[in-house]
Amino acid sequence: MSAPSIPNLLSLRGSSRGGRGRGFGRGRGGSSSHSAPGHDVTIQGTDTDAALSRLSAVEIGYLDDPFAEVFAQRPAPGAPVRRLPIINRGTYTRTTAIDTIFNHFLASTAGSPRQIISLGAGTDTRALRLFTSTSPAHSDILYYEIDFPTITAKKLATVRTFPPLCVILSVIENTPSSWTAYSKTNPTNKLICHGIDLRDLAQPQPLSQPQDPPALPQPQTPLSHLLPSIDTSLPTILLSECCLCYLPTPATTSILSLFTSAIPNLAITIYEPILPSDPFGRMMVSNLAARGIRMPTLEAYQAPADEERRLKEAGFEEVRVMTVERIWQGWVSQEEKERVDGLEGLDEVEEWILLAGHYIVAWGWRGKGLELPSSEGT
Amino acid sequence: MSDLDKAIAQLRACRPIPEAQVRELCHKARELLIEEGNVVTVTAPVTICGDIHGQFHDLMELFRVGGDVPDTNYLFMGDFVDRGFYSLESFLLLLCLKVRYPDRMTLIRGNHESRQITTVYGFYDECLRKYGSANVWRYCCDVFDYLALGAIVLGASNTISPNPEQTEMSTEDIEIEVCNADGQIMSQFPRTPRNARARGKSPNGAGGTTNGVAPGASGGPSGGVPTGTGPPGSGASGVSGGSVGNPAGAVLCVHGGLSPLIDTVDKIRLLDRKQEVPHEGAMCDLLWSDPDEIDGWGLSPRGAGFLFGADIVKMFNYRNDLSLIARAHQLVMEGFKEMFDTSIVTVWSAPNYCYRCGNVAALLELSEDDSGLGIFARSNGDVGRSDGGVSGGGLRNVLENDLKPGPARRYRVFQAAPQDSRGMPAKKPVADYFL
Ligand SMILES: C[S@@+](CC[C@H](N)C(=O)[O-])C[C@H]1O[C@@H](n2cnc3c(N)ncnc32)[C@H](O)[C@@H]1O
Repeated sequence: MSAPSIPNLLSLRGSSRGGRGRGFGRGRGGSSSHSAPGHDVTIQGTDTDAALSRLSAVEIGYLDDPFAEVFAQRPAPGAPVRRLPIINRGTYTRTTAIDTIFNHFLASTAGSPRQIISLGAGTDTRALRLFTSTSPAHSDILYYEIDFPTITAKKLATVRTFPPLCVILSVIENTPSSWTAYSKTNPTNKLICHGIDLRDLAQPQPLSQPQDPPALPQPQTPLSHLLPSIDTSLPTILLSECCLCYLPTPATTSILSLFTSAIPNLAITIYEPILPSDPFGRMMVSNLAARGIRMPTLEAYQAPADEERRLKEAGFEEVRVMTVERIWQGWVSQEEKERVDGLEGLDEVEEWILLAGHYIVAWGWRGKGLELPSSEGT
Repeated sequence: MSDLDKAIAQLRACRPIPEAQVRELCHKARELLIEEGNVVTVTAPVTICGDIHGQFHDLMELFRVGGDVPDTNYLFMGDFVDRGFYSLESFLLLLCLKVRYPDRMTLIRGNHESRQITTVYGFYDECLRKYGSANVWRYCCDVFDYLALGAIVLGASNTISPNPEQTEMSTEDIEIEVCNADGQIMSQFPRTPRNARARGKSPNGAGGTTNGVAPGASGGPSGGVPTGTGPPGSGASGVSGGSVGNPAGAVLCVHGGLSPLIDTVDKIRLLDRKQEVPHEGAMCDLLWSDPDEIDGWGLSPRGAGFLFGADIVKMFNYRNDLSLIARAHQLVMEGFKEMFDTSIVTVWSAPNYCYRCGNVAALLELSEDDSGLGIFARSNGDVGRSDGGVSGGGLRNVLENDLKPGPARRYRVFQAAPQDSRGMPAKKPVADYFL
């Protein structure tokens, strides 16, 4: 229950122990400094869910991602992981939307080193996809992933045991809190996985007004100290793909300001649910609660306009927000829609509109030379 | 108690019946269904229901709200299976009731009553899980092939049947009444002349993509009686559109909607329906199409069937002497939605669809016309006005002045069955989200 004022380093130990395979990923959930470890384990479990959804979309042909298979834990060996068509379409839309935003970022910063920081990256395969891409724009990338130590350790175990990954990544450094790997296919790319409870990055909030964003720059632990391998001089894009929503709202504000105050050329992409108060949203909140999942920021940022305000207040000059439904409408070409629709019939049109209308992708940027999609079209 | 009654009792308890019994049931059902035409004729009173989708406990709630079989005469417009966790129990119960009370239970085919769709959306997996083999799924699919494609309701009254609840309006004037699950009146709408309505604001908010006549669209069905809000028409109350007491025009019930290949009900009758739902063509369209705010026909986002506009519906109704098309197929948050100057209505009967959508459900009651003028005077499409004589600029006037008055409609809106009624250690079904 004690509010830590510095990162709890004990929480980082988990990653060095435990070896590989079974036994990983259970029990040692999260930091000892935060209450409800049960909730942490559940939240870590959401990554399994995301990975299985990704695998389902890949197996049916929505996405092309040879790494999805590697990181997904099937319920039983060989067990099918097929998700419903609307879920597959959602996984497809969110993945391609973030890819699109990243491609803009990478194109506009091409030619010199740049950085991607993924909060709650889980078993996301995006780094591997970028590293094995043949596009010349996909080089000079420092890809920095953050997740709970259990999750990053598990990722390392997979990278080490799975032969096809050994061909792509060469692990050069492994400390209790993080591991680093070079891309063998493109040595200008580097992956760093840092195991830490993100809440430990948050500055303790003054008890009186927990809502207020902390006044910038605070006289406490700077980013360079908390996450030393981050290069704050590089143009950087920060990603939270369904991660910050699991954190207490004040912690998320604090974490955002930690990055905005340290990195001058910064872009951001956030993907998460919205609208908890309409009939569909109320049901979503209660169904997730039944699975033990709470999303505190959902209450604070209910509508697309709240997300926009949030990023503006965090210091991003340009901010855009689109629902997943609108992204599907506006960003996916007619030809691609036909291809995707041809994979399996989608009979759940009204349900799709409801579900996809309850998720947004918000992105913003500030500083020199960053170009992200600025309109409804791409 | 006969075996059939035993099976009914067992299924009502949400317990599957043995495979051999399913086989026999499906066999009997097929013998019964094979005798039905593609378009079944049903006489009012009748209670019309939309998609069920294996939400067994909500089906029980539907029977509680709408009355039990055989006291109530039911017409289910398809999509009994898939998505929910009890497709098997739901469909078999409906089928048992059909075999037991053939004249009180009409089942027509939905797009999910198909081999291909059920392998994607859950019914196939459910059968495999519950029986260890696909036999039961196969028996059921064979029944699907025999289900009728539509129904024509005759003899519906254009005055609403008396409600035990107090009403301020004379029942003669009421065209639409919306009740909650306990039978309390939530709203009533007086009848307005069709032509007046067609010119002015429609009950559905004048042709926008609005919610139609929605029970307390914002307050939810548990809200109070809206007083004087959003009545159909532009305030003109009172009579017209056909003299009260006369029977209403016929109502066509179909799962999805219309087809560009079908301009008369008779053409539906001519289809060869005893097959898997094809990927295209008239039969596919009837099960897959949706009304939309467009002119004419449009491509469907579902990849099967078409979108069709108000002009198509009005022309079809006029030509076939119909006063209303009732269809299901689309989730509507308020349970029902009337469109195109009340020429078509969507009825949706799966509350909190997929345990996720948070919507309410509805059923539509059409009461019996006892003026005695009904059945015989009415066309059901056999003598449809396929005169083709209406065309050009005159069409609009002809349509608006000449349409039969719609039947009086009572919608009963209900919510998902409470968790504890689900019996057993209620393992809450998990709904998928994007995490
Ligand atoms: C739903 S998953 C998303 C994974 C990945 N971003 C994706 O979209 O595929 C959420 C991830 O956030 C991580 N996460 C949640 N709270 C966290 C915290 N306090 N510290 C570190 N990671 C956290 C979880 O461990 C999990 O891997």
